[in-house]
Amino acid sequence: MNFLMTIIPFFQASKLNYKLVILVSLFLFSSCEKVINLDLKKAESVIVIEGSISDQIENQFVKISKTTPFTESNTFNGFKGANVNIITPGGMPITFIEVSPGLYRSQRLKGTPGQTYKLEILADGKLYTASSTMPLPVIPDSVGFKKLSFFGNANIYPTVYYKDPSGVQNQYRYLVKINNKYQADIVSEDRFNNGNAVSDVINYDGDDLKSGDIITIEMQSIDRNVFKYYFAISQIGGNGGPPVAPANPNSNISNGALGIFSAHTKSTLSIVLK
Amino acid sequence: MLFLKNIFLTCFLLLFFTINSKSQDNYTINGIVKDSLSGETLIGVSLKFNGKVQVGTSSNAYGFFSYKLSSGDYDLSVSYVGYRTINRRISINADTKLDLNMVPDNILDEIVISSEKRNDNVVNAQMGVAKINLSEIRNVPVLFGERDILKTLQLLPGIKSAGEGNSGFYVRGGSTDQNLILLDEAPVYNASHLLGFFSTFNSDAIKDVSVFKGGMPAQYGGRLSSVLDIRMNDGNKKEYTAEGGIGLISSRLKLEGPIVKDKGSFMISGRRTYADAFLAFSGDSSIKNNTLFFYDLNAKANYQIDEKNTIYLSGYFGRDELGLNETFGFGWGNTTATLRWNHLYSNRLFSNTSLIYSNYNYVIQNFLQENNFKVNSSIRDMNLKQDFQLALNNSHNIRFGLDLIHHTIAPGKITASASSSVNEVAVQKRKGSEIAAYISDEWELNDKINLVYGLRASSFFLFGPGNFYRYDADGKTNSTRAYASGELVKNYLNLEPRISASYQLNGLSSLKSSYTRNTQNLHLMSNSTAGSPTDLYIMSSNNVSPEIADQIALGYFRNLNEDKYEFSAEMYYKKMQGQIEYRSGTDLRGNRNVEADLLFGDGRAYGIELFLKKRFGKINGWIGYTLSKTERKFNDINSGQWFLAKQDRTNDVSLVGIYRASERWTFSSTFVYNTGNAVTFPGGKYQLNNTTVFYYPERNSDRMPDYHRLDFSATLEGKPNKKLQSSWSFGVYNLYNRKNAYSIDFRDDPDDKSKTQAVRTTLFGIIPSVTWNFKF
Repeated sequence: MNFLMTIIPFFQASKLNYKLVILVSLFLFSSCEKVINLDLKKAESVIVIEGSISDQIENQFVKISKTTPFTESNTFNGFKGANVNIITPGGMPITFIEVSPGLYRSQRLKGTPGQTYKLEILADGKLYTASSTMPLPVIPDSVGFKKLSFFGNANIYPTVYYKDPSGVQNQYRYLVKINNKYQADIVSEDRFNNGNAVSDVINYDGDDLKSGDIITIEMQSIDRNVFKYYFAISQIGGNGGPPVAPANPNSNISNGALGIFSAHTKSTLSIVLK
Repeated sequence: MLFLKNIFLTCFLLLFFTINSKSQDNYTINGIVKDSLSGETLIGVSLKFNGKVQVGTSSNAYGFFSYKLSSGDYDLSVSYVGYRTINRRISINADTKLDLNMVPDNILDEIVISSEKRNDNVVNAQMGVAKINLSEIRNVPVLFGERDILKTLQLLPGIKSAGEGNSGFYVRGGSTDQNLILLDEAPVYNASHLLGFFSTFNSDAIKDVSVFKGGMPAQYGGRLSSVLDIRMNDGNKKEYTAEGGIGLISSRLKLEGPIVKDKGSFMISGRRTYADAFLAFSGDSSIKNNTLFFYDLNAKANYQIDEKNTIYLSGYFGRDELGLNETFGFGWGNTTATLRWNHLYSNRLFSNTSLIYSNYNYVIQNFLQENNFKVNSSIRDMNLKQDFQLALNNSHNIRFGLDLIHHTIAPGKITASASSSVNEVAVQKRKGSEIAAYISDEWELNDKINLVYGLRASSFFLFGPGNFYRYDADGKTNSTRAYASGELVKNYLNLEPRISASYQLNGLSSLKSSYTRNTQNLHLMSNSTAGSPTDLYIMSSNNVSPEIADQIALGYFRNLNEDKYEFSAEMYYKKMQGQIEYRSGTDLRGNRNVEADLLFGDGRAYGIELFLKKRFGKINGWIGYTLSKTERKFNDINSGQWFLAKQDRTNDVSLVGIYRASERWTFSSTFVYNTGNAVTFPGGKYQLNNTTVFYYPERNSDRMPDYHRLDFSATLEGKPNKKLQSSWSFGVYNLYNRKNAYSIDFRDDPDDKSKTQAVRTTLFGIIPSVTWNFKF
């Protein structure tokens, strides 16, 4: 999927048209942006769960929070006192302990690729469950850079090289840091390049890269539902998109909770831009 | 509605008996109405015969009319906007052939309102129809001074713009793909250029535009909301002429003339934009090497073989091209071709046979070495129409025919070179046919009541070859079945009754009512409000049922001040089934399982439309107002509750004024106001992996800010009586520079990541334009 984004950063299905519209209108003289005040409704708070288990020996985390009104600051509104367990394929519960408000941590342990894990959370007397199957790992060969220019803006983008396994459907997620500052969270899939040597260009809206920057990329293999969840978020987009009716992405968690539970493999590469 | 259908069928049968039992009329009068200077046939010309009773008819889409009259003397009055009215006394004592040549009258305001009535709008049973006069299109101010049929249409009540500067439109709560747009009978799938800012219709090449918002006549079908029937010019039969214009964005040229004088003629009209020409002035090579333009070409030829046979060949070809620095190319466009044969079986039976081709496609290309690829997608129609118009007697005009259309949709095929990391993928083509038969009768029941009633039986067939899937409730593939070429996969049959009636309250006013059912078997998958070049169409299938709409409407029509003013009020209620949305996170690109992610629901729309138009005089123009509501209901959206559709706008006002200040100066102005569209704004937010994600509790429960805008234009005609006639048009779009919201986005404040903000994007501020037009 990312091969499309290689070419235009805005080739996200929903954003393409919109970005082009802006582009065309720029051509035809004018288009401008302004921050405005809107009187937004304050919806009742909803529970948000973000849980994961990886194939690395480490502390696994589950974050539980509640939504906050638009006008408040962007803080993690942690939910205290939940009962959190991940159930292994053998039926054994792994108990998570709350280490700070809303942050729940397991012992150091790892999941096994190919296995299905269940998440069970008891919060406010409600039971939330989810399950996710950890895909087999795909290890990146290397990270490089590509210079692309669009209407006068030339930018350097990090690029991940890997061999996509043939015959299976794969989904990937990239978490990108520049100089240890978090920059991007992007998903891709192998629908158009299954089984090939792939170069995924990481198109992100963050800080421009410059010489001496350290780029760290965590590549995850994620399951289909997790991919669809993040893909839906990218379609709605926080930074534009046509005036479509945005909606909450479909969560794999039951009982109306927002968020996602992901069993994934991961590997991390770092590179310095010369 | 089943009840209504039964009643309707009963009436229908009854009527056939009445018709058969009654044929005491004597003579047929028929002929063709033409422009006296160019020989162009004129569409919709009103003919009134005043004898013992007053009766009348109008010319059809080929200028032909036929009418049964009993013997006697009549005062014939032939009238048409922009032409001198013909008043003539005729004696009917045999079948009569009467060809009429009307003299164009450039000076609208000096038309003497004679005793003849210009009250077709009141008398006619047809409702929910609007005609745009091409002289109005010429004078109404538009963005960049580009005359545009679709944008002028949006100034009529019940027809709403799909967005700023956009040629897409919503009719009575329907979405943009529910409009049937016909150019010389050929369906046009993407009616916009440059992502919606310009329509594909070059108004130089257009003769007549009608839009049906409700009460669709039975010969039209295949879309739920409206029919936009656009007819191209035939070409001047008398002499060679050229006309054109040079504007800020584009230039146009039209040539026309006789092939054989008075027998046949041709017309060819082209247009190209050159906005991207300015890019070449940029020193920056990454800007210089981009392309962005569109062009289109309309051509038509006709030849009258003899008194009874005329053939027409017409076509359209248009294309948009966007290229970024030799790394990326994107092109899209429509091609249509129509071959028509008019034949008179007798002086009462007119026949038209049309063979139609329409194709829309887009190509996306990536030229980067290791990721190169090319995406091709297309939708192609082959269409045969056979239409008969029979003047049965002086109170019945029958129309019947067949409409066969074959669709081939290639949703997407990806090709790449061997060195590319991209695999070649093709989503299977889909083939389907729509077969419809229709019959309708225009019946002058008595002095007070006119009826148009008919039935359209439409069936849809989806054929193999291909793999067809069944899905479970979660959208997972349940079973797959391979069908052979030509094997029937699914079939739907729909009966679509159409009826409208008018009741004359007096010579000046009438009440009208209509009921129509429309069905649609081609469905547009689109996430965005405006038409996108990559819009994907799917057909009805084993997973997707036809969309069905039932509409009832009631109207009051009145002319005032000797027909100088026309007023109408129409109320409508529309119920829609089989409406389509899709699950969040659905990727339409190269996706063979799109149908798995669809959600099906209902829709309803209702409203009232008021329209007051001043038709003649130094100052003319109109005011339109619409009060309406449009809702949708899906089990999996908004907890199954009704929610406002994205095209819902409570209030919508348009004002158009045209002032002929002198022989040479014309000023015009438009003002539009509408309630902001229904949209979904966040009701909260949360942090997911340190990123802000917004929470949307309800669908479309918020509103965009109100939209309003004032435009102005002035046209200076050159000195008359010169060989070269020329004119200047000056325009200002958005005169008071209103910052209308094209979109409102939500994001983290770039200067303070701990806060979120709402950002409004405005596309067009105040924009001046100038165009020079010529004709010789």
